[in-house]
Amino acid sequence: MIRFFDIAKRYPSGQVALEGVSLAIEKGELCFLTGGSGAGKTTLLRLIFREETPTAGQILVNGRNVAALPRGKVPYLRRSIGVVFQDFRLIDRKTVFENVAYLPRILGLDATKQRRIAYEALRRVGLAHRMAAFPWQLSGGEQQRVAIARALVNDPEILIADEPTGNLDPDLSREIVRLFLDIHRRGTTVIFATHDRQLIERVGHRALVLARGRLVEDRRLPVGSFDAGLTPAVGAGDDA
Amino acid sequence: MNLLQALAYFFREALVGLLRSWRVSALAVLTITVSLFLAGSFLLTSGNLARAIASWKQDARLTVYLADGVDAAARDRIAERLAAAPWVEEVAFVPAAEGAARFRSAFPSLAELVEDARYGSLPDSLEVRQRELTSTELAAHRGWIAEIGRLPGVETVDDDREWIAGVATLLVVVRALGSLLTGVLLGAAIFTIAAVVRLTSFLYRDEIAIMRLVGATEFFIRGPFYVEGLLQGLAGGVAAVAALRAVHFALSSRVAESLVLRLVARDFLATGEVAALVAIGAAAGLGGALASLGREQAASERG
Repeated sequence: MIRFFDIAKRYPSGQVALEGVSLAIEKGELCFLTGGSGAGKTTLLRLIFREETPTAGQILVNGRNVAALPRGKVPYLRRSIGVVFQDFRLIDRKTVFENVAYLPRILGLDATKQRRIAYEALRRVGLAHRMAAFPWQLSGGEQQRVAIARALVNDPEILIADEPTGNLDPDLSREIVRLFLDIHRRGTTVIFATHDRQLIERVGHRALVLARGRLVEDRRLPVGSFDAGLTPAVGAGDDA
Repeated sequence: MNLLQALAYFFREALVGLLRSWRVSALAVLTITVSLFLAGSFLLTSGNLARAIASWKQDARLTVYLADGVDAAARDRIAERLAAAPWVEEVAFVPAAEGAARFRSAFPSLAELVEDARYGSLPDSLEVRQRELTSTELAAHRGWIAEIGRLPGVETVDDDREWIAGVATLLVVVRALGSLLTGVLLGAAIFTIAAVVRLTSFLYRDEIAIMRLVGATEFFIRGPFYVEGLLQGLAGGVAAVAALRAVHFALSSRVAESLVLRLVARDFLATGEVAALVAIGAAAGLGGALASLGREQAASERG
Protein backbone atom coordinates (compact mmCIF):
# COMPACT_ATOMS: atom_id res chain seq x y z
CA MET A 1 0.00 0.00 0.00
CA ILE A 2 2.81 2.42 0.90
CA ARG A 3 6.36 1.98 -0.44
CA PHE A 4 9.38 4.18 0.21
CA PHE A 5 12.39 3.61 -2.05
CA ASP A 6 15.62 5.10 -0.75
CA ILE A 7 13.95 8.36 0.28
CA ALA A 8 15.95 11.42 1.21
CA LYS A 9 14.65 14.79 2.27
CA ARG A 10 17.07 17.64 2.67
CA TYR A 11 15.97 21.22 3.26
CA PRO A 12 17.59 24.19 1.51
CA SER A 13 19.14 25.18 4.84
CA GLY A 14 21.21 21.98 4.59
CA GLN A 15 19.27 20.17 7.33
CA VAL A 16 18.83 16.48 6.56
CA ALA A 17 15.36 15.30 7.63
CA LEU A 18 15.48 11.82 6.06
CA GLU A 19 18.22 9.80 4.43
CA GLY A 20 18.07 6.44 2.66
CA VAL A 21 14.66 5.44 4.01
CA SER A 22 13.12 2.36 2.38
CA LEU A 23 10.04 0.67 3.79
CA ALA A 24 6.78 -1.01 2.89
CA ILE A 25 3.49 -0.80 4.76
CA GLU A 26 0.83 -3.25 3.68
CA LYS A 27 -2.90 -2.69 3.47
CA GLY A 28 -4.61 -3.00 6.85
CA GLU A 29 -1.44 -2.72 8.91
CA LEU A 30 -1.14 -0.79 12.16
CA CYS A 31 2.27 0.77 12.21
CA PHE A 32 3.82 2.94 14.90
CA LEU A 33 6.44 5.44 13.90
CA THR A 34 8.71 6.49 16.70
CA GLY A 35 11.97 8.24 17.43
CA GLY A 36 13.25 11.30 19.25
CA SER A 37 12.47 14.89 18.39
CA GLY A 38 13.87 15.76 14.97
CA ALA A 39 14.19 12.10 13.99
CA GLY A 40 12.09 12.71 10.86
CA LYS A 41 8.72 11.25 11.86
CA THR A 42 6.63 14.23 10.79
CA THR A 43 8.59 14.63 7.55
CA LEU A 44 8.01 10.97 6.69
CA LEU A 45 4.27 11.33 7.29
CA ARG A 46 4.10 14.58 5.31
CA LEU A 47 5.75 12.85 2.36
CA ILE A 48 2.92 10.29 2.26
CA PHE A 49 0.20 12.90 1.71
CA ARG A 50 2.46 15.11 -0.43
CA GLU A 51 2.76 17.96 2.02
CA GLU A 52 6.46 17.56 1.23
CA THR A 53 8.28 16.12 -1.77
CA PRO A 54 11.40 14.02 -1.40
CA THR A 55 14.78 15.29 -2.51
CA ALA A 56 15.65 11.78 -3.73
CA GLY A 57 13.88 8.45 -4.08
CA GLN A 58 10.34 7.39 -4.93
CA ILE A 59 7.18 6.97 -2.88
CA LEU A 60 4.27 4.84 -3.98
CA VAL A 61 0.90 5.19 -2.28
CA ASN A 62 -1.70 2.80 -3.62
CA GLY A 63 0.45 2.40 -6.73
CA ARG A 64 0.66 6.16 -7.34
CA ASN A 65 4.06 7.79 -7.53
CA VAL A 66 3.40 10.52 -5.01
CA ALA A 67 6.58 12.49 -5.65
CA ALA A 68 5.79 12.81 -9.34
CA LEU A 69 2.10 13.55 -8.84
CA PRO A 70 1.05 16.73 -10.69
CA ARG A 71 0.01 19.51 -8.31
CA GLY A 72 -3.58 19.36 -9.56
CA LYS A 73 -3.87 15.68 -8.58
CA VAL A 74 -2.67 16.14 -5.00
CA PRO A 75 -6.17 16.94 -3.61
CA TYR A 76 -7.42 13.61 -4.97
CA LEU A 77 -4.58 11.75 -3.22
CA ARG A 78 -5.39 13.52 0.03
CA ARG A 79 -9.04 12.56 -0.17
CA SER A 80 -7.95 8.93 0.17
CA ILE A 81 -5.81 9.65 3.24
CA GLY A 82 -7.12 10.79 6.60
CA VAL A 83 -4.71 12.88 8.64
CA VAL A 84 -4.86 13.69 12.35
CA PHE A 85 -2.46 16.09 14.06
CA GLN A 86 -1.40 16.74 17.60
CA ASP A 87 -2.90 20.25 17.44
CA PHE A 88 -6.26 19.06 16.00
CA ARG A 89 -6.35 21.69 13.22
CA LEU A 90 -10.06 22.38 13.31
CA ILE A 91 -11.70 25.46 11.82
CA ASP A 92 -12.81 27.44 14.87
CA ARG A 93 -15.52 29.47 13.16
CA LYS A 94 -17.23 26.35 11.85
CA THR A 95 -19.30 23.95 13.93
CA VAL A 96 -18.25 20.39 14.62
CA PHE A 97 -20.63 19.24 11.92
CA GLU A 98 -19.28 21.75 9.37
CA ASN A 99 -15.71 20.73 10.15
CA VAL A 100 -16.49 17.08 9.59
CA ALA A 101 -18.79 17.66 6.60
CA TYR A 102 -16.24 19.83 4.78
CA LEU A 103 -14.92 17.06 2.56
CA PRO A 104 -18.36 15.61 1.67
CA ARG A 105 -19.36 19.17 0.84
CA ILE A 106 -16.48 19.80 -1.56
CA LEU A 107 -17.13 16.40 -3.11
CA GLY A 108 -20.55 17.77 -4.05
CA LEU A 109 -22.64 15.32 -2.07
CA ASP A 110 -26.19 16.46 -1.47
CA ALA A 111 -27.04 17.95 1.92
CA THR A 112 -28.82 14.83 3.17
CA LYS A 113 -25.88 12.61 2.33
CA GLN A 114 -23.43 15.12 3.85
CA ARG A 115 -25.42 15.06 7.07
CA ARG A 116 -25.66 11.29 7.07
CA ILE A 117 -21.97 10.56 6.61
CA ALA A 118 -20.82 13.38 8.90
CA TYR A 119 -23.21 12.08 11.55
CA GLU A 120 -21.90 8.54 11.04
CA ALA A 121 -18.27 9.69 11.40
CA LEU A 122 -19.12 11.67 14.55
CA ARG A 123 -21.07 8.74 15.96
CA ARG A 124 -18.01 6.53 15.51
CA VAL A 125 -15.98 8.87 17.69
CA GLY A 126 -18.79 9.41 20.20
CA LEU A 127 -19.57 13.01 19.39
CA ALA A 128 -22.80 12.88 17.42
CA HIS A 129 -24.47 14.83 20.22
CA ARG A 130 -22.01 17.76 19.86
CA MET A 131 -22.58 18.41 16.16
CA ALA A 132 -23.77 21.99 16.71
CA ALA A 133 -20.93 22.95 19.05
CA PHE A 134 -17.91 24.95 17.98
CA PRO A 135 -14.42 23.49 18.48
CA TRP A 136 -13.57 26.04 21.18
CA GLN A 137 -16.51 24.77 23.21
CA LEU A 138 -15.00 21.27 23.36
CA SER A 139 -12.32 19.69 25.54
CA GLY A 140 -8.97 18.70 24.00
CA GLY A 141 -10.01 15.05 23.80
CA GLU A 142 -13.28 15.96 22.13
CA GLN A 143 -11.49 18.22 19.64
CA GLN A 144 -9.15 15.39 18.76
CA ARG A 145 -12.11 13.07 18.26
CA VAL A 146 -13.65 15.65 15.89
CA ALA A 147 -10.36 15.70 13.98
CA ILE A 148 -10.48 11.90 13.78
CA ALA A 149 -14.09 12.04 12.58
CA ARG A 150 -13.03 14.49 9.88
CA ALA A 151 -10.21 12.15 8.86
CA LEU A 152 -12.63 9.22 8.70
CA VAL A 153 -15.51 10.91 6.94
CA ASN A 154 -14.47 9.86 3.46
CA ASP A 155 -13.71 6.32 4.63
CA PRO A 156 -9.99 6.61 3.81
CA GLU A 157 -7.80 3.61 3.11
CA ILE A 158 -4.97 5.18 5.09
CA LEU A 159 -5.17 7.04 8.38
CA ILE A 160 -2.11 9.04 9.42
CA ALA A 161 -1.79 10.34 12.96
CA ASP A 162 1.05 12.65 13.92
CA GLU A 163 1.35 12.40 17.71
CA PRO A 164 -2.42 12.65 18.17
CA THR A 165 -2.17 12.17 21.94
CA GLY A 166 0.68 14.63 22.45
CA ASN A 167 -1.59 17.34 23.86
CA LEU A 168 -3.86 15.08 25.89
CA ASP A 169 -3.78 13.76 29.44
CA PRO A 170 -3.28 9.96 29.95
CA ASP A 171 -7.00 9.12 30.25
CA LEU A 172 -7.91 11.03 27.10
CA SER A 173 -4.88 9.56 25.33
CA ARG A 174 -6.07 6.01 26.10
CA GLU A 175 -9.49 6.90 24.75
CA ILE A 176 -7.98 8.23 21.50
CA VAL A 177 -5.68 5.22 21.09
CA ARG A 178 -8.66 2.89 21.54
CA LEU A 179 -10.40 4.81 18.80
CA PHE A 180 -7.47 4.29 16.43
CA LEU A 181 -7.36 0.58 17.28
CA ASP A 182 -11.05 0.32 16.55
CA ILE A 183 -10.52 2.07 13.21
CA HIS A 184 -7.66 -0.32 12.43
CA ARG A 185 -9.80 -3.35 13.31
CA ARG A 186 -12.24 -2.22 10.64
CA GLY A 187 -9.52 -2.61 8.01
CA THR A 188 -7.98 0.85 7.71
CA THR A 189 -4.20 1.13 7.40
CA VAL A 190 -3.08 3.24 10.37
CA ILE A 191 0.28 4.97 10.73
CA PHE A 192 0.65 6.44 14.18
CA ALA A 193 3.62 8.62 15.11
CA THR A 194 4.36 8.78 18.84
CA HIS A 195 7.16 9.29 21.36
CA ASP A 196 5.50 6.88 23.74
CA ARG A 197 7.51 3.61 23.65
CA GLN A 198 5.33 2.11 26.40
CA LEU A 199 2.24 2.63 24.32
CA ILE A 200 3.90 0.85 21.39
CA GLU A 201 4.86 -2.11 23.61
CA ARG A 202 1.33 -2.37 25.01
CA VAL A 203 -0.40 -2.15 21.65
CA GLY A 204 2.05 -4.16 19.56
CA HIS A 205 1.71 -4.76 15.77
CA ARG A 206 4.69 -2.99 14.15
CA ALA A 207 7.18 -0.29 15.11
CA LEU A 208 9.34 1.75 12.76
CA VAL A 209 12.09 3.59 14.61
CA LEU A 210 13.74 6.65 13.14
CA ALA A 211 16.93 8.26 14.39
CA ARG A 212 18.50 11.33 12.78
CA GLY A 213 16.52 10.80 9.61
CA ARG A 214 17.40 7.12 9.17
CA LEU A 215 15.18 4.11 9.66
CA VAL A 216 17.15 2.24 12.30
CA GLU A 217 14.64 -0.42 13.32
CA ASP A 218 11.61 -2.13 11.84
CA ARG A 219 10.11 -4.53 14.43
CA ARG A 220 7.08 -6.79 14.35
CA LEU A 221 5.54 -6.89 17.81
CA PRO A 222 3.02 -9.23 19.38
CA VAL A 223 -0.42 -7.74 19.79
CA GLY A 224 -0.34 -6.40 23.31
CA SER A 225 -2.68 -6.06 26.26
CA PHE A 226 -3.99 -2.68 25.22
CA ASP A 227 -5.63 -4.12 22.15
CA ALA A 228 -6.79 -7.22 23.98
CA GLY A 229 -8.71 -5.18 26.51
CA LEU A 230 -10.29 -3.00 23.86
CA THR A 231 -13.78 -1.92 24.69
CA PRO A 232 -16.37 -1.32 21.99
CA ALA A 233 -16.13 1.89 19.97
CA VAL A 234 -16.14 5.04 22.05
CA GLY A 235 -19.24 6.32 20.35
CA ALA A 236 -21.39 3.32 21.16
CA GLY A 237 -23.50 5.41 23.53
CA ASP A 238 -24.30 8.02 20.87
CA ASP A 239 -26.94 5.97 19.16
CA ALA A 240 -29.39 6.86 21.85
CA MET B 1 -19.93 19.91 -6.30
CA ASN B 2 -21.47 21.45 -9.39
CA LEU B 3 -20.69 24.97 -10.54
CA LEU B 4 -23.86 26.50 -9.09
CA GLN B 5 -23.24 24.95 -5.68
CA ALA B 6 -19.61 26.10 -5.86
CA LEU B 7 -20.63 29.66 -6.75
CA ALA B 8 -23.16 29.77 -3.91
CA TYR B 9 -20.42 28.57 -1.56
CA PHE B 10 -17.92 31.13 -2.93
CA PHE B 11 -20.38 34.02 -2.47
CA ARG B 12 -21.31 32.93 1.06
CA GLU B 13 -17.68 32.57 2.11
CA ALA B 14 -16.72 35.83 0.37
CA LEU B 15 -19.42 37.74 2.26
CA VAL B 16 -18.23 36.22 5.54
CA GLY B 17 -14.67 37.28 4.64
CA LEU B 18 -15.77 40.81 3.76
CA LEU B 19 -17.65 41.16 7.03
CA ARG B 20 -14.77 39.69 8.99
CA SER B 21 -12.35 42.32 7.70
CA TRP B 22 -14.90 45.04 6.93
CA ARG B 23 -12.63 47.98 7.65
CA VAL B 24 -9.98 47.08 5.09
CA SER B 25 -12.70 45.94 2.69
CA ALA B 26 -14.34 49.37 3.01
CA LEU B 27 -10.98 50.99 2.30
CA ALA B 28 -10.59 48.91 -0.86
CA VAL B 29 -14.11 49.79 -1.98
CA LEU B 30 -13.45 53.47 -1.27
CA THR B 31 -10.23 53.44 -3.29
CA ILE B 32 -11.93 51.93 -6.28
CA THR B 33 -14.90 54.29 -5.85
CA VAL B 34 -12.62 57.35 -5.94
CA SER B 35 -10.72 56.15 -9.00
CA LEU B 36 -13.88 55.21 -10.90
CA PHE B 37 -15.60 58.43 -9.85
CA LEU B 38 -12.72 60.33 -11.37
CA ALA B 39 -12.80 58.13 -14.48
CA GLY B 40 -16.56 58.67 -14.73
CA SER B 41 -16.15 62.43 -14.32
CA PHE B 42 -13.68 62.57 -17.18
CA LEU B 43 -15.89 60.31 -19.25
CA LEU B 44 -18.92 62.50 -18.58
CA THR B 45 -17.04 65.73 -19.27
CA SER B 46 -15.36 64.52 -22.43
CA GLY B 47 -18.56 62.85 -23.65
CA ASN B 48 -20.55 66.06 -23.31
CA LEU B 49 -17.75 68.06 -24.84
CA ALA B 50 -17.48 65.62 -27.75
CA ARG B 51 -21.23 65.83 -28.35
CA ALA B 52 -21.06 69.63 -28.24
CA ILE B 53 -18.19 69.63 -30.74
CA ALA B 54 -20.07 67.25 -33.04
CA SER B 55 -23.11 69.50 -32.88
CA TRP B 56 -21.01 72.61 -33.50
CA LYS B 57 -19.32 70.93 -36.42
CA GLN B 58 -22.70 70.21 -37.92
CA ASP B 59 -23.74 73.85 -37.51
CA ALA B 60 -20.33 75.31 -38.27
CA ARG B 61 -20.49 78.37 -40.47
CA LEU B 62 -18.05 80.72 -42.07
CA THR B 63 -19.25 84.22 -41.22
CA VAL B 64 -18.17 87.11 -43.37
CA TYR B 65 -18.83 90.34 -41.48
CA LEU B 66 -19.47 93.24 -43.81
CA ALA B 67 -18.09 96.70 -43.35
CA ASP B 68 -20.47 99.50 -42.48
CA GLY B 69 -22.13 101.07 -45.48
CA VAL B 70 -21.76 98.15 -47.90
CA ASP B 71 -24.63 98.40 -50.36
CA ALA B 72 -26.70 95.52 -51.71
CA ALA B 73 -24.78 95.33 -55.02
CA ALA B 74 -21.42 95.02 -53.27
CA ARG B 75 -22.89 92.49 -50.86
CA ASP B 76 -24.18 90.40 -53.82
CA ARG B 77 -20.77 90.48 -55.47
CA ILE B 78 -19.16 89.18 -52.31
CA ALA B 79 -21.85 86.52 -52.01
CA GLU B 80 -21.26 85.42 -55.62
CA ARG B 81 -17.55 85.22 -54.99
CA LEU B 82 -18.17 83.08 -51.95
CA ALA B 83 -20.60 80.77 -53.73
CA ALA B 84 -18.05 80.09 -56.46
CA ALA B 85 -15.83 78.11 -54.08
CA PRO B 86 -16.23 74.32 -54.52
CA TRP B 87 -16.78 73.67 -50.78
CA VAL B 88 -19.51 76.27 -50.33
CA GLU B 89 -23.02 74.85 -50.20
CA GLU B 90 -25.06 77.88 -49.28
CA VAL B 91 -24.61 81.60 -48.70
CA ALA B 92 -27.20 83.54 -46.69
CA PHE B 93 -27.44 87.19 -45.73
CA VAL B 94 -27.89 87.81 -41.99
CA PRO B 95 -28.91 91.36 -41.09
CA ALA B 96 -27.28 92.86 -37.99
CA ALA B 97 -30.49 92.66 -35.92
CA GLU B 98 -30.90 88.94 -36.63
CA GLY B 99 -27.23 88.31 -35.79
CA ALA B 100 -27.68 90.05 -32.43
CA ALA B 101 -30.86 88.06 -31.71
CA ARG B 102 -29.07 84.80 -32.48
CA PHE B 103 -26.21 85.74 -30.16
CA ARG B 104 -28.60 86.55 -27.31
CA SER B 105 -30.35 83.23 -27.80
CA ALA B 106 -27.12 81.20 -27.91
CA PHE B 107 -25.38 82.98 -25.01
CA PRO B 108 -28.02 84.43 -22.68
CA SER B 109 -25.44 85.14 -19.99
CA LEU B 110 -23.46 87.28 -22.45
CA ALA B 111 -26.51 89.02 -23.92
CA GLU B 112 -25.57 92.42 -22.57
CA LEU B 113 -22.44 92.43 -24.73
CA VAL B 114 -24.43 93.03 -27.91
CA GLU B 115 -26.32 95.85 -26.27
CA ASP B 116 -23.28 97.49 -24.72
CA ALA B 117 -22.25 100.51 -26.78
CA ARG B 118 -18.62 100.11 -25.75
CA TYR B 119 -18.35 96.92 -27.81
CA GLY B 120 -20.24 98.30 -30.81
CA SER B 121 -23.16 96.57 -32.51
CA LEU B 122 -22.90 93.46 -34.66
CA PRO B 123 -22.55 94.26 -38.39
CA ASP B 124 -24.49 92.70 -41.26
CA SER B 125 -22.95 89.43 -42.34
CA LEU B 126 -22.96 86.66 -44.90
CA GLU B 127 -23.24 83.22 -43.44
CA VAL B 128 -21.62 80.44 -45.46
CA ARG B 129 -22.42 76.77 -45.03
CA GLN B 130 -19.56 74.56 -46.21
CA ARG B 131 -19.21 70.88 -46.81
CA GLU B 132 -16.55 68.81 -45.02
CA LEU B 133 -13.13 69.57 -46.48
CA THR B 134 -10.78 66.89 -47.76
CA SER B 135 -7.22 66.97 -46.51
CA THR B 136 -5.97 68.16 -49.91
CA GLU B 137 -8.31 71.14 -49.77
CA LEU B 138 -7.13 72.50 -46.41
CA ALA B 139 -4.30 74.65 -47.74
CA ALA B 140 -6.44 76.05 -50.56
CA HIS B 141 -9.23 76.76 -48.07
CA ARG B 142 -6.88 78.75 -45.82
CA GLY B 143 -5.75 80.81 -48.85
CA TRP B 144 -9.36 81.34 -49.88
CA ILE B 145 -10.31 82.69 -46.43
CA ALA B 146 -7.39 85.13 -46.59
CA GLU B 147 -8.54 86.25 -50.03
CA ILE B 148 -12.11 86.78 -48.82
CA GLY B 149 -10.79 88.83 -45.91
CA ARG B 150 -9.09 91.17 -48.37
CA LEU B 151 -12.17 91.76 -50.52
CA PRO B 152 -13.49 95.33 -50.50
CA GLY B 153 -16.48 95.62 -48.16
CA VAL B 154 -15.40 92.73 -45.94
CA GLU B 155 -14.65 93.69 -42.35
CA THR B 156 -13.55 90.32 -41.05
CA VAL B 157 -13.96 86.58 -41.68
CA ASP B 158 -14.74 84.23 -38.85
CA ASP B 159 -14.52 80.48 -39.50
CA ASP B 160 -16.19 78.46 -36.74
CA ARG B 161 -14.02 75.48 -37.66
CA GLU B 162 -10.94 77.21 -36.28
CA TRP B 163 -12.19 77.56 -32.73
CA ILE B 164 -13.93 74.18 -32.91
CA ALA B 165 -10.53 72.68 -33.73
CA GLY B 166 -9.16 74.45 -30.64
CA VAL B 167 -11.87 72.96 -28.42
CA ALA B 168 -11.29 69.54 -30.02
CA THR B 169 -7.63 69.81 -29.02
CA LEU B 170 -8.76 70.63 -25.48
CA LEU B 171 -10.94 67.52 -25.58
CA VAL B 172 -7.93 65.38 -26.55
CA VAL B 173 -6.00 66.86 -23.62
CA VAL B 174 -8.90 66.22 -21.20
CA ARG B 175 -9.18 62.63 -22.40
CA ALA B 176 -5.43 62.02 -22.12
CA LEU B 177 -5.32 63.53 -18.65
CA GLY B 178 -8.38 61.54 -17.61
CA SER B 179 -6.91 58.30 -18.92
CA LEU B 180 -3.62 58.95 -17.15
CA LEU B 181 -5.16 59.82 -13.79
CA THR B 182 -7.68 57.00 -14.03
CA GLY B 183 -4.91 54.56 -14.88
CA VAL B 184 -2.84 55.64 -11.89
CA LEU B 185 -5.81 55.51 -9.52
CA LEU B 186 -7.04 52.18 -10.89
CA GLY B 187 -3.54 50.82 -10.37
CA ALA B 188 -3.71 52.02 -6.78
CA ALA B 189 -7.16 50.45 -6.40
CA ILE B 190 -5.94 47.11 -7.77
CA PHE B 191 -2.99 47.28 -5.41
CA THR B 192 -5.31 48.00 -2.45
CA ILE B 193 -7.66 45.16 -3.33
CA ALA B 194 -4.68 42.83 -3.76
CA ALA B 195 -3.49 43.84 -0.29
CA VAL B 196 -6.95 43.31 1.20
CA VAL B 197 -7.33 39.88 -0.40
CA ARG B 198 -3.83 38.97 0.76
CA LEU B 199 -4.71 40.11 4.27
CA THR B 200 -7.92 38.08 4.23
CA SER B 201 -6.12 35.02 2.92
CA PHE B 202 -3.56 35.58 5.70
CA LEU B 203 -6.37 35.68 8.27
CA TYR B 204 -7.61 32.42 6.82
CA ARG B 205 -4.20 30.82 6.36
CA ASP B 206 -4.87 28.09 8.94
CA GLU B 207 -8.19 27.28 7.32
CA ILE B 208 -6.60 27.24 3.89
CA ALA B 209 -3.97 24.80 5.16
CA ILE B 210 -6.75 22.59 6.55
CA MET B 211 -8.70 22.79 3.29
CA ARG B 212 -5.61 21.69 1.37
CA LEU B 213 -5.05 18.93 3.88
CA VAL B 214 -8.48 17.40 3.45
CA GLY B 215 -8.23 17.49 -0.33
CA ALA B 216 -9.88 20.72 -1.45
CA THR B 217 -8.79 21.80 -4.92
CA GLU B 218 -7.13 25.19 -5.45
CA PHE B 219 -10.23 26.32 -7.38
CA PHE B 220 -12.37 25.58 -4.35
CA ILE B 221 -9.94 27.26 -1.94
CA ARG B 222 -9.38 30.37 -4.03
CA GLY B 223 -12.94 30.81 -5.33
CA PRO B 224 -14.16 32.79 -2.29
CA PHE B 225 -11.16 35.15 -2.53
CA TYR B 226 -11.77 35.78 -6.23
CA VAL B 227 -15.42 36.52 -5.47
CA GLU B 228 -14.35 38.77 -2.59
CA GLY B 229 -12.20 40.88 -4.94
CA LEU B 230 -14.97 40.87 -7.53
CA LEU B 231 -17.56 42.06 -4.98
CA GLN B 232 -15.27 44.82 -3.72
CA GLY B 233 -14.71 46.00 -7.29
CA LEU B 234 -18.43 45.80 -8.10
CA ALA B 235 -19.33 47.72 -4.95
CA GLY B 236 -16.73 50.36 -5.82
CA GLY B 237 -18.09 50.65 -9.37
CA VAL B 238 -21.70 50.95 -8.23
CA ALA B 239 -20.77 53.48 -5.53
CA ALA B 240 -18.81 55.55 -8.06
CA VAL B 241 -21.75 55.61 -10.49
CA ALA B 242 -24.14 56.51 -7.66
CA ALA B 243 -21.88 59.35 -6.47
CA LEU B 244 -21.50 60.59 -10.03
CA ARG B 245 -25.27 60.49 -10.52
CA ALA B 246 -25.81 62.43 -7.30
CA VAL B 247 -23.30 65.10 -8.27
CA HIS B 248 -24.77 65.35 -11.77
CA PHE B 249 -28.26 65.63 -10.32
CA ALA B 250 -27.11 68.40 -7.96
CA LEU B 251 -25.57 70.31 -10.88
CA SER B 252 -28.43 69.72 -13.31
CA SER B 253 -30.47 72.65 -11.96
CA ARG B 254 -27.61 75.00 -12.82
CA VAL B 255 -26.94 73.67 -16.32
CA ALA B 256 -29.33 76.12 -17.99
CA GLU B 257 -27.59 79.18 -16.58
CA SER B 258 -23.96 78.09 -16.91
CA LEU B 259 -22.28 77.85 -20.28
CA VAL B 260 -19.46 75.71 -18.90
CA LEU B 261 -21.85 73.25 -17.23
CA ARG B 262 -23.89 73.07 -20.40
CA LEU B 263 -20.75 72.17 -22.27
CA VAL B 264 -19.39 69.53 -19.92
CA ALA B 265 -22.29 68.21 -17.84
CA ARG B 266 -25.49 68.46 -19.82
CA ASP B 267 -26.14 64.73 -20.18
CA PHE B 268 -25.36 61.89 -17.79
CA LEU B 269 -23.38 58.85 -18.89
CA ALA B 270 -24.99 56.46 -21.36
CA THR B 271 -26.12 53.07 -20.04
CA GLY B 272 -23.20 51.38 -21.79
CA GLU B 273 -20.74 53.76 -20.11
CA VAL B 274 -22.31 53.11 -16.68
CA ALA B 275 -22.06 49.36 -17.32
CA ALA B 276 -18.45 49.78 -18.45
CA LEU B 277 -17.53 51.67 -15.25
CA VAL B 278 -19.07 48.97 -13.06
CA ALA B 279 -17.43 46.25 -15.18
CA ILE B 280 -14.04 47.98 -14.89
CA GLY B 281 -14.53 48.04 -11.09
CA ALA B 282 -15.34 44.35 -11.05
CA ALA B 283 -12.41 43.55 -13.33
CA ALA B 284 -10.05 45.61 -11.15
CA GLY B 285 -11.28 43.75 -8.05
CA LEU B 286 -10.85 40.38 -9.71
CA GLY B 287 -7.45 41.47 -11.04
CA GLY B 288 -6.36 42.43 -7.53
CA ALA B 289 -7.47 39.05 -6.17
CA LEU B 290 -5.72 37.20 -9.02
CA ALA B 291 -2.51 39.14 -8.45
CA SER B 292 -2.62 38.56 -4.72
CA LEU B 293 -3.41 34.85 -4.89
CA GLY B 294 -0.90 34.32 -7.68
CA ARG B 295 1.78 35.53 -5.25
CA GLU B 296 0.32 33.38 -2.47
CA GLN B 297 0.42 30.31 -4.73
CA ALA B 298 4.00 31.04 -5.77
CA ALA B 299 4.92 31.39 -2.09
CA SER B 300 3.14 28.15 -1.13
CA GLU B 301 4.88 26.29 -3.98
CA ARG B 302 8.25 27.60 -2.81
CA GLY B 303 7.40 26.82 0.81
